[in-house]
Amino acid sequence: MEEKVPEVDWKKVSAELLILSLVEARPRHGYEISKLIEQRSGGTVRFYVASLYPLLYRLEKRGWLQGRWVEKAGQRRRRYYRLTPAGRSVLGSQRRGWHTFVEAVNRITEAEPA
Amino acid sequence: MSTWEQEIRERLAGLKLDPAREAEIVEEVAQHLENRFQELAESGAPEPEARRLALEELSEGGLLERGLRQVEERAPRDPVVIGGGGRGNFLPGIGQDLRFGLRQLRRNPSFAAVAILSLALGIGANALVFSVVNATVLRPLPIDHPEQVVFLETKNAGPSQSFPNYQDLRDRNRTFAGLVGYRISPMELESGTGTNRIWGYLATGNYFDVLGVKPAVGRFFHQDDDLHPGASPYAVLSYGAWQSRFGGDPAIAGKTIRINRLPFTVLGVARADFHGTELFYWPDVWVPMMMEPQIEVGNPWLDNRSTWNTWVIGRLKPGVLPAQAVADLNTVGAELAHEHPAENEGLEFLLAKPGLIGSMIGGPAKAFTLGVLGLAGLVLLTACANLASLLAARAADRQREMAIRVSVGADRGRVIRQVLTEALMLSVAGGAIGYGLALVLSHLLSRWRAPLDFPVQVNVDPDWRVLCFAWGASILAGILFAAVPAWRASNTDPNAAMKGAVPAWGRKRAAFRDLLVAVQVAICFVLLSSCLLSLRGLQQALRMHLGFEPRNVTVAGFDLGLAGYSEAQGRAFQHRALRDVQQLPGVQSAAYSNSMPLSIDQSSTTVFPAGQANLQPSDRIGVTYYEVSPGFFSTLGTTLLAGRDFAWTDDEKSPLVAVVNRAFARRVMHTENPVGGRYREGLTNSRLVEVVGLVEDGKYRSLTESQEPVVFWPMSQRYESNTVLEVKSNLPSAEMAVEMRRSVAALDPELPLFGVGSLNQMLGFAFFPTHAAAVALSAFGGLAIMLAGTGLYGLVTHAVTRRVREIGIRMALGAQPVEVLHLVLGKTLVLLAIGSAVGLALALLAGQVLASIVYEASPRDPLALGGVVVLMFSLGILSSWLPARRALKIEPKTALRYE
Repeated sequence: MEEKVPEVDWKKVSAELLILSLVEARPRHGYEISKLIEQRSGGTVRFYVASLYPLLYRLEKRGWLQGRWVEKAGQRRRRYYRLTPAGRSVLGSQRRGWHTFVEAVNRITEAEPA
Repeated sequence: MSTWEQEIRERLAGLKLDPAREAEIVEEVAQHLENRFQELAESGAPEPEARRLALEELSEGGLLERGLRQVEERAPRDPVVIGGGGRGNFLPGIGQDLRFGLRQLRRNPSFAAVAILSLALGIGANALVFSVVNATVLRPLPIDHPEQVVFLETKNAGPSQSFPNYQDLRDRNRTFAGLVGYRISPMELESGTGTNRIWGYLATGNYFDVLGVKPAVGRFFHQDDDLHPGASPYAVLSYGAWQSRFGGDPAIAGKTIRINRLPFTVLGVARADFHGTELFYWPDVWVPMMMEPQIEVGNPWLDNRSTWNTWVIGRLKPGVLPAQAVADLNTVGAELAHEHPAENEGLEFLLAKPGLIGSMIGGPAKAFTLGVLGLAGLVLLTACANLASLLAARAADRQREMAIRVSVGADRGRVIRQVLTEALMLSVAGGAIGYGLALVLSHLLSRWRAPLDFPVQVNVDPDWRVLCFAWGASILAGILFAAVPAWRASNTDPNAAMKGAVPAWGRKRAAFRDLLVAVQVAICFVLLSSCLLSLRGLQQALRMHLGFEPRNVTVAGFDLGLAGYSEAQGRAFQHRALRDVQQLPGVQSAAYSNSMPLSIDQSSTTVFPAGQANLQPSDRIGVTYYEVSPGFFSTLGTTLLAGRDFAWTDDEKSPLVAVVNRAFARRVMHTENPVGGRYREGLTNSRLVEVVGLVEDGKYRSLTESQEPVVFWPMSQRYESNTVLEVKSNLPSAEMAVEMRRSVAALDPELPLFGVGSLNQMLGFAFFPTHAAAVALSAFGGLAIMLAGTGLYGLVTHAVTRRVREIGIRMALGAQPVEVLHLVLGKTLVLLAIGSAVGLALALLAGQVLASIVYEASPRDPLALGGVVVLMFSLGILSSWLPARRALKIEPKTALRYE
């Protein structure tokens, strides 16, 4: 049986998916998140400050992320974001949806055998 | 850094965010820009170029403003705008403060947890102690119009009256609506649970009517039920006895029960909350006073004016003032003194609050409980000092937030209110938890029965007064610890704070925190020293010479009078029981007496010097007496200093003899060697008694008494049905007790034994106040240590955090670890020393008070005080250790980048 792809704004979801994935393993601060996105995408995907923070705050507001000020020895305090249990389940379903979506796109765009 | 913030703030200006939220966003985004700038600069971009690029990313098509506008709902503006009073918006403002406060606390859960926990402990301790004070001092007896009811005592004879005097007072006074007499009395009760010795009240017939209490089942007895000696075999059961001994039998009224092996008709059952007229004593049964000869077999005193053992309380007529009642009583007293001068000379009355045997227990109990309440207050004060310094430290971190609030127009009251709201949220949460703790503990305490052969129990369950107290304490604590930080915060100078400068009051605040720490150390010192002094006192008391040696002695009591034995039968029984017990294996010696020193059952009499002519009633000397069998002194290990022990030949036919202690010899006979001398008993029909032996002084009524005169009489000359068997043996007490039970049961299987066990167990009663004080003080000491520890930890942590940069510079310049430690710990040690010095002075003062409560507690005990000093400094070192180690690990490079 074929999984039905929900109608979603994949451009927006992909941005959320990137952030949620990056804080899945451990809490990270905003700058770290933006650096990781840039590094891991080999510079293809970039989040500048102006778009990153509104997105982080939105995810926080939805209860998927939780931001906390953390003070470490000898450093200024920084705001770290961690994945909440709600965020974790959203991440799971977004991941599944994304894979289905990508597979679907691939099936369409792959060159048909002559 | 400030240029980033300026840029960001300009972009956010149009959004009208909540100032605190705006400050957070600005801080976070500015950090990002700074990192990005560094990154660009490190990758080779010239500084102006790097700055331009970073700012470009910030501007990126107004994304930040648009994004934030969608996400951040517009915060309701502070109701106070420049110049505006904002009073009209008070309530919505409170809601906003509460929401904001809650958010702040959720962001700082460890701060909230420490604050709530220390408040819960402080308020819980206070609520618990207060519920004891409430139960013993404040709460009236559960009777009708308790404010009209007073306890009668006399200036000379203390809390008791003779029964004939009671009758005269009752009939002749003009100011009382009713006077009742009652007495605590042991009885032997047969019930479904076997034959037991129980404790009850002998009470005059008008007892329940004058008190205005209602029965739960059946009826109470009335004056008409109590007219002639021996003619009123009625009983009223307490609710507890009805439940535990008669299974709550609903048809109990009218049934016959057996008390002292005689039939008594149960008239009814008292309500569950009525435990008679003494708070600490919960009787099983009330019996009409006229049954006294049947209840106290062999000791009739209803017609005896020289036996003072009736307690009297009265209900004042409406509108009569206590002073008028005293004058009225003294008028009757003067008549009685005239009519019966030998017994009533100098009779003068005082009134006391009922419930604590007048001022006999009332005075010390009040002093003790209020003293403990004072200590509990100190604990709460320590908790407050702790929180004040935490809050002050936090206020320093929130300078910028406050500055923003002030700069956007919040007035001083508004800022104060915000800080107070947060503090009150903490203190009310702490108070609620503390009250819950107190509720549980006081419930346990109410159910707890002292391990004594005596129904000592008191209901300390909290009522509305305790609830009010806990609320009041919470709110007061909140205001107390937030007041100064709130006031300081409201004085924020926005310009200086935004520039990150430490304002003048920031330094003052540091001084304020230091003061708090010193205060905390001082209070902690007082609590700890009180705790150690009392524990040392207890240790001393346990080692103190009592005038007898309780080790290896096992005791068992029985009352032959209650069991219906005549004097001749009783004497024979005592003899046989003693002989049988002496035969038991492992017994070194055995004896019996009417009572034991330091038990609750003490008897006194008055004696006169023998040689003096023209004796007056005022020449009488009160002494404690014991009736003992031969072998009593050797069994108890009391040293016979001169003369001889009693012999079985000292009987009814031989001249009266006595053994006295040294205090008796000095006070009554004015000699150090009384053997062969005499003293006189009674003023009229007096008789002389020869002293045949002298024993060492001891403790008889309480551990705190000074040397009291005591006389011992041979039981073979003066019979007493109440008997305590004492056995000295190397066998364990538990084993010995079983053997003693078996021996007595072989003679009378029905005879109930009471107070069976080692003498040391029995002494629990005498040691009870000291134990109670030691337990309470240890608990407070523990709390004080915890609170002072967290306080010092907070101080040093803060000192390290504040000075990271300085420490880094110093270390970069080659400072040694010792110097760094000095920098971080120097002030702590100074504060510790100052606090301890002040604490020591206060502890010496507090020790004076303590010495009056805890026996053998010496206020200047160098070991205890030295111990506290060592403890305080170890505490200081321990709580400074972690933050100090952190200071040593600071890397100069990191520290220099730290703002």
